[in-house]
Amino acid sequence: MFRMCLLVFLALGAAQAAPVARSLVRIEATSQEPSYKVPWNPGTVSGGVGAGFIIAGNRILTNAHVVSNARFLTVSKEGDPKPYPAKILHIAHDCDLALLTVEEPGFFKGTTALELGGIPPMESVVSVFGYPIGGTRLSVTQGIVSRIDFQPYSHSGMDSHLTIQIDAAINPGNSGGPVLQNGKVVGVAFQGYSGDVAQNVGYMIPTPVVKRFLRDVEDGQYDRYVDLGLSYENLFNPAARRALGLVEDDRGVLVGSVYGGGSSDGIVQAGDVLMAIDGLPIASDATIPMDGDSVPLAEVVERKFKGDAVKLDVIRDGKPLALTIPLEGPWPFTLHSNAYDLPPRFVVFGGLVFQPVDQDWMDAHQPQDLRLRYTFDFFIEDKIYKDRPEIIALSGILADPVNAYAADFRHGIVDEINGRKIRSLADVAEEFAKPSEYYVIQMAGVGRPIVLERKAVEEARGRILSRYGVTREQNL
Amino acid sequence: MSLRFHLLFLALCLPAFGGVTPQPKPKPPQEAASISILRVNATSQTYDFFRPWMKKPPGTRRGLGTLIDGNRILVTAELVANATFIELERAATAEKSSATVERVDYESNLAILRPADPSILQGMKPLTLDKGVRVGDRATVLQLEQNGEIAETLGTVTSIAVGGYPFDNMGLLIFRLSAPMQQRDGSFTLPAVRNGNLLGLLMRYDARSQTADLIPSPVIAHFLKEAAKPSYVGFARAGMAFASTRDPQLRRYIGLNEPGGVYVTEVLRGSAAEKAGLKTGDVLLAVDGRAIDQDGNYEDPEWGRIAFSHITNTIYHPGETVNFRVFRDGAVSEIPVTLDVRDRSKIISEPHMSDRAPRYVIMGGVVFMELSRPYLQEWGGDWAKEAPQRLVFLDAFQNELPEDRGKIVFISQILPTQETLGYEGLENLVVSRINGKEIKSLDDVIAASKSPVDGFQMIELDEDPGRIFLDAGAIEAHRDALMEKYALPSLQRL
Repeated sequence: MFRMCLLVFLALGAAQAAPVARSLVRIEATSQEPSYKVPWNPGTVSGGVGAGFIIAGNRILTNAHVVSNARFLTVSKEGDPKPYPAKILHIAHDCDLALLTVEEPGFFKGTTALELGGIPPMESVVSVFGYPIGGTRLSVTQGIVSRIDFQPYSHSGMDSHLTIQIDAAINPGNSGGPVLQNGKVVGVAFQGYSGDVAQNVGYMIPTPVVKRFLRDVEDGQYDRYVDLGLSYENLFNPAARRALGLVEDDRGVLVGSVYGGGSSDGIVQAGDVLMAIDGLPIASDATIPMDGDSVPLAEVVERKFKGDAVKLDVIRDGKPLALTIPLEGPWPFTLHSNAYDLPPRFVVFGGLVFQPVDQDWMDAHQPQDLRLRYTFDFFIEDKIYKDRPEIIALSGILADPVNAYAADFRHGIVDEINGRKIRSLADVAEEFAKPSEYYVIQMAGVGRPIVLERKAVEEARGRILSRYGVTREQNL
Repeated sequence: MSLRFHLLFLALCLPAFGGVTPQPKPKPPQEAASISILRVNATSQTYDFFRPWMKKPPGTRRGLGTLIDGNRILVTAELVANATFIELERAATAEKSSATVERVDYESNLAILRPADPSILQGMKPLTLDKGVRVGDRATVLQLEQNGEIAETLGTVTSIAVGGYPFDNMGLLIFRLSAPMQQRDGSFTLPAVRNGNLLGLLMRYDARSQTADLIPSPVIAHFLKEAAKPSYVGFARAGMAFASTRDPQLRRYIGLNEPGGVYVTEVLRGSAAEKAGLKTGDVLLAVDGRAIDQDGNYEDPEWGRIAFSHITNTIYHPGETVNFRVFRDGAVSEIPVTLDVRDRSKIISEPHMSDRAPRYVIMGGVVFMELSRPYLQEWGGDWAKEAPQRLVFLDAFQNELPEDRGKIVFISQILPTQETLGYEGLENLVVSRINGKEIKSLDDVIAASKSPVDGFQMIELDEDPGRIFLDAGAIEAHRDALMEKYALPSLQRL
């Protein structure tokens, strides 16, 4: 029985592999990871392999994480030994997609652009193509659609979008490869669990997300996802429903908090009950009917673009209210998401290294400091962004006589410099650029200031830069 | 901190291993000491802060008590914390008597026991406190063998310094002894003697470095003096934090030309220092006429260079006034500080709750508690990382909360009932208001719940989901059913 199945699968794979070979590319990326510990360093260079596929318009679609921080990219076609230099047209870190092209004429000759399909039904069979670990040539694996749901996208670490789970093996090197059904692309393989966490759980980016990306870049730039900027809770509790003036119809979700600076700020209030979004009734488990299925209500906003609006029917203080939310842009405070293609920002002064705290900084420094961890973790929930749009930490000390007594302050949060509240890295640079006999740095929650004498800082400057190989004193 | 000490002790408390080398016969001075100690077996039971209506299984700690004058037995507070039953036992005769705690001070980790039957002390001789020990002197730690024989370990005093005590972050004098101790049953509190006098009580032992920390005779003397007063007050705190002034740039910036002094970084609310008018940014130059160096130490005639807090917490007693010489804005002045103990009524999150039951209120299955560190410590040794982070932060930064913050009331868990349908997963959420009334204690919860709005209890939270509602009538109607279903002895303890 087992042998039989195996044979059938192999035959199926072979049947699809022939045409897809004309659309598939192997991507070799040389990337440079910035160092958040030594932010002026250019970073370490490493190589990686991923997959991609050709779509209409002489473009290659792949995952953002295959080509993030890339310094040099080549793509190669099946049956053509030559690697072609490629360049990135657009990259979307929030949905882990990227578009590449090859400038060399003739590359796309003889290739076939793949077409995008829809959402494959549950239990239907799909095939995954790519260059995963285990060899260098094209690999095909096959599985069925196991689940269709919102899942976090680990590339950014902060975004969740519609995702399709399949039970075909997805391994490093599969990333960016097409998942096909009946000759059409139904997804882009992008992430999975390692075998010691869960078996046969792989994820692909479904075509609604891919199509949104392609539409977003039609105007020549990627504007990112828009967001309501609020949190909401299921409304199952009968007493809560009655207290909020709702009837027993299993509709409505309760707004928990509205994020400052987000799209709903000033329009929706905590305690509002969301009843419908763009006319679609919201069930008490925060789902809406869409395309014959019940999906999270966020899916309505997921499909919108910067400049669009969304209509919300809410109940506030027992009375119905129709609200229109202009979706002006993405949530501005993205410090919890991983950053790519951006050199780390920093200021060095008197051997003290100041950096804005974000996910990459946290990953690099693993701070133990409780106040810093709190400020980072609860940045959005506790609206810390109101006082500190950026959290500036004293992230390191290049030891020198000028800062011999500053070691205790490492990983502290800069609160004030010379009496000025520090709200961004630019504030730090500005204060240090002003002439002053003393620079008095007050850290949050610490009674004693760090005092640097201008004379001592100037005297130490050249010494610190050469001794520690600091090639740049700031990147704002 | 205190948990680590417990762990160290646990290693000591393991049953005695075989092959213990017998110690040489007691020498005459120690012989006197041997008739001053008896076994103390304390059965203790702590509350389960995850289920505050319950106690955890009882456990037993064994240690040695030291007879002091007045038929009193001196032990560490740790030995008798949360005790449900304390038993004294004469080592040689196995004669027993129960005992009660007459006085306990968790800050100095000391307690006085009184036997129910004083005849058990017959023939015993009280120990007096040692005086004048110096670094390098020898001292003996006493233990008891199973057969009642004394086991002695000779050690050397390697340092005398102010250090952290297990409860309440108190910094008091510690004698550190280097002594190769052996594991024996009943080593929770051990006396250390010198020339037949009590040098101190061993409160922790690090088996790796073979160092024992003693609660030293001066701290014991202070405790006994306080215990003799009609109402116990304890150890005073100035109530301030400071930092070194070693940095010459800082010294020049504040215009400090004096050689020593420490920079005041925090003055605690309601503390003696605040009442005296000390401020953040002051530089403390001297206490009680004794100059303080850049690290906060002074030259003690008896103990050498130690932290100045020894003056305010051990040499002087609460209510006494000590002069602080302070440098502020270029001028030096003497500020009299009337010493005082910590005002426990102002504590937002209790650092320890020994001998006290946690308060709770259960409303229709929603369990309300007040934040305390023992609650967080239920998450185990790595609680600062494992426990709900918001609560950890509130505990750690409680001094920065508004003065009128009151207790932090939070929903610790939900016992699912018909009334809590849809709220099952909620836990560790800080409550801000109930029925529109601010909540600063569990008493406020009870008071606010008496006036439901339109028949609902509206509980507002500091974080998502923001608010929950309960049917006030249904809660009342189902009180007995809730108690029965979850076998709750009571729906509140206040």
